[in-house]
Amino acid sequence: MRAAEIVERIKAQMGAWRDTSTRDRYKFGGDDTEVTGIATTVFVTMDVIERAAAAGLNMIVPHEDTFWNDPDNEAVVQEDPLYAEKIELLRRHNIVIFRIHDHMHSQVPDFTYVGSAREIGLDPRYETAPNSHRFILPETTLGELAAHVQRTSGARAIRVVGDPNARVSRIQLGVGYATPNLNNAELDVVISGEQQETDSGFDSPAYALDAPAAGVPKGWIMLGHAVSEEAGMLEMAEWIRGFVPEVPVRLVRAGEPFWVP
Amino acid sequence: MKRITRREFGALVAGGVVAGVTAGRFANGEEAVAAAPRAAQEPVTADRIVARIRSGIGVEWNPESIDTFKAGDPAAVVTGVVTTSLATMEVLREAVAARANLIITSGTTFYSRADSRTAPAGRSGGAGPAAGAAGDGAAQTPAAPPPNPIFEAKNRFIDENGLIVFRLSDHWRARTPDGFALGLAERIFGEGAFAAPDGPIFFDIPATPLEVVARDVKTRLGGRGGIRVIGDPGVRIRKVAFLPGTTPITASLAALPQADLVIAGEVREWESAEYARDSVFAGRQKGFMTIGRVLSEDPGMALCARWLSDLVPEVGVRHVSAGDPYWRPVA
Repeated sequence: MRAAEIVERIKAQMGAWRDTSTRDRYKFGGDDTEVTGIATTVFVTMDVIERAAAAGLNMIVPHEDTFWNDPDNEAVVQEDPLYAEKIELLRRHNIVIFRIHDHMHSQVPDFTYVGSAREIGLDPRYETAPNSHRFILPETTLGELAAHVQRTSGARAIRVVGDPNARVSRIQLGVGYATPNLNNAELDVVISGEQQETDSGFDSPAYALDAPAAGVPKGWIMLGHAVSEEAGMLEMAEWIRGFVPEVPVRLVRAGEPFWVP
Repeated sequence: MKRITRREFGALVAGGVVAGVTAGRFANGEEAVAAAPRAAQEPVTADRIVARIRSGIGVEWNPESIDTFKAGDPAAVVTGVVTTSLATMEVLREAVAARANLIITSGTTFYSRADSRTAPAGRSGGAGPAAGAAGDGAAQTPAAPPPNPIFEAKNRFIDENGLIVFRLSDHWRARTPDGFALGLAERIFGEGAFAAPDGPIFFDIPATPLEVVARDVKTRLGGRGGIRVIGDPGVRIRKVAFLPGTTPITASLAALPQADLVIAGEVREWESAEYARDSVFAGRQKGFMTIGRVLSEDPGMALCARWLSDLVPEVGVRHVSAGDPYWRPVA
């Protein structure tokens, strides 16, 4: 089946599709590409392209960018030989890429939060209200909570800021770069993907460093962007499978890029 | 390519002001101190010190930059200077213990770019999905800032101890060579960094496996959980490029092809981390490390203390490390 048919169904199922998004559009290939199967993923790495192609999946639906900048402005990267190599790899495997980012975050529920909560072992029964992304856990320490998150996710490069002995229970989950502000008095811990370390519009990990001096329990757990948002692409695959029964649809994980010394 | 020796750099920065003080390198790697008391000097105020910084820094001063006073009275007499990459409460306490009242920091003191002494109204962090992930920050729900105990504690400590906080970031970075990159290169590898014109600072090392370099970087910087690496641990590294601070994709695109390893501060993961991952998958013999902005700027602020000790002979100048803000639950 043609990519156009699949994209048309995605837009119809999503409802209120905005074609003005710089993100949610074709990044390679187009309407006329014949699709043999669909891979969802967080990042279209060259590794993901190879593995998707080997599995007979030539349509890739990523959450994030393909050419190392958010709007996929190819002028930024086209002088780099790696860009040409990536294009050649896509061409060789007759890949079509259609990104779903903004619309995914507008969906209710937003699959990225559902996936992230599952990945790190945040029990949905502790969520204060559906889609609030706020969890009130039985009181624990920041150290115990972080260890639970790391054990459950298996992620190597989780980073934590704050006093490991701080007693915490009120958690706000963010995803990717949409990191909630820690200077909210009703929160003990923010868990998210990544966020600017300084010079952000709102706060920074330094806030958690200074919290003990004020006797306030605060913690910041950063999962990394890929770990934070990849799990929800499983829900995305299941969702697409529901209205595209003609071809196989499955998650092909990009995985965590980092290791730690 | 130009090699930079310590002596040349000293001549470059001192601008003829010689106080006969060169900082020692201490066993713990901490560079600093020049605190020998200098008797019978005129008292010096914070704004006079900043005036010397502005005229001595070697780049045109941009008054619109973030490099301004953030707290305290600029007209107050300075008893001692502390440089740091992050003026945490712990760093402020150490400054007070050392009887220093002027803090020169490359990072924000009040947590956001505005660096205002009151908490910003901002993202609610409350109910409702935060919008947009990559690239656009997050949903903004303006709300009046409630009383904030963390801001209050820091403000109280600053006021009670008569501290003055000045941010020095943009101009230290704009120097040639970049003061942060030079400090980082020398902390990790010693003297011998060199710079391409308008390019990053490089350092050549004997071929060393990436995992060995990564462990060494962690040790030299006193890293805890903030250092993350991309690349085959066994790949042999010869040329290292330094991109401390915040690293946009354009900087990584310029540096990684010219080096075997880039040591960056903070990146946007959807940019540089994925570019590095693809580079490695495509067969480039490369490594990429992101060590965090605060940690990456720490040695540069130690270098800044050495520079300031010549510029401000009246009082002691020392560097206080904010350390690596991050830890990891499982080693």
